[in-house]
Amino acid sequence: MKLLSNKNLLILMILVSGYAYIASCTRNDSLIVPIQLTKPFVATRGTNVHLPGSLTAGNTAEWKVDKAHSSVLWSTNYVGAAGLLTGRFNQFGLHNVIDAEMTSYTTTGQPLKDTSWAFYENEPGKTYLNGYVQINQSNTGEPGRDAGCNVTGMGTVAIVPGTQNLNPVNLAKIKTTKIEFDPASNGYIVTLDLTWHGYVQSPITMITKTIVGKLSYVPKKRVQFGTAAAYDVFGLQLKFSFNCREFGIISTSIADNIDIECNMNFNNK
Amino acid sequence: MGNEMISYLQRLEIMAFFSGYPLLYLVILSYAGKEELRTITKKRLISLLPFAYGLIGILYLGLQLRNLYPDYSIRHITSAIQNPFLAGWGLLSIFSFIPVLNKKPVICLLHSLVFFYFLLKDLYIQIISTSAEKSILKNDINVYSDSILLNIAAFAIMAILYFLFLSVRKKTKSIS
Repeated sequence: MKLLSNKNLLILMILVSGYAYIASCTRNDSLIVPIQLTKPFVATRGTNVHLPGSLTAGNTAEWKVDKAHSSVLWSTNYVGAAGLLTGRFNQFGLHNVIDAEMTSYTTTGQPLKDTSWAFYENEPGKTYLNGYVQINQSNTGEPGRDAGCNVTGMGTVAIVPGTQNLNPVNLAKIKTTKIEFDPASNGYIVTLDLTWHGYVQSPITMITKTIVGKLSYVPKKRVQFGTAAAYDVFGLQLKFSFNCREFGIISTSIADNIDIECNMNFNNK
Repeated sequence: MGNEMISYLQRLEIMAFFSGYPLLYLVILSYAGKEELRTITKKRLISLLPFAYGLIGILYLGLQLRNLYPDYSIRHITSAIQNPFLAGWGLLSIFSFIPVLNKKPVICLLHSLVFFYFLLKDLYIQIISTSAEKSILKNDINVYSDSILLNIAAFAIMAILYFLFLSVRKKTKSIS
């Protein structure tokens, strides 16, 4: 008689399984018993509410974007395989740019008011963020790349000094559609629409893709420097990735996925 | 919750699919008896085992796709799946539909023993442990029971489909 015959193995398996059933019996009916591995995350969120209002200087209830200390950064793997290519957009804002506002503005400051946002720390359903960047304002620190392959590869136009170009050819914008608590951190899970014409040239057609990202909140703190009046600051960090091929980008210098990190600082001065 | 807990739950999830297969396999083979004495029906039942196992693999793939929806990027997959090698091993079961592999049902048995091993390991730890804590083994047994039921259901589905196909083919032949 073979030791490893099917019947012997079956008997062995039934014995092992049977013993396991008996050994595991706790006389309880629960389905999956929670076991203690690491302590579960417990969120610690406050009740801060930050709104832009009409950006009245000196009104401490109205929060202003501190653009000089904010940034929109991008990164992707060089040629899709090597180390990171990184850069930032010099011009960006928190405004829901509607079709009628997609034009050029002769100014060196913000062309549109940074008022298309609201943040409720404990009510993410009320929070929303709308923003934009000017594609030709990508700054990698290499002028040859910024004015060269960035302009041609991203299907945009060269910078005109003293002009803020919010035309469809040069505009990428985001609009949050849903913000929820992140169960694993104090942050939030953000569903947003990314709209950009990408490399689609003629006619220029804005493409919108839905993306999931993560929002972090740096809580409000009071700061004071020297004898100047104290004021409050807070920060928001939004991170998301998108596939540039979905927007028709064909450049092989960059990977399919581009990571975006928006670091926005606000004050109530 | 930390990654450890997610990793543990994902291990239970994959065990729920595959760990019950060895028992089903041995029951069917024991029922079929000695190879030289098997009837055609019994041979057919044995030949259906790899297909049932492949169906389990497809169901597991479906669950993973559902869990990952709507973001199927590599980044999301790597961050969401805590036991990539185990998940990859589980997904290999789909290859049991390939004729070269499904001619040898024992390959599926060897494949599924990896998942049965976790049950044995936890049982061994329970035996040598002085702790009265039985939660891990209880969880294993819960998903093992589910897995046995799932594997029986998958095998029954494949058997029904196969015998339906045979009867339809028979009728079609007799008409023509």
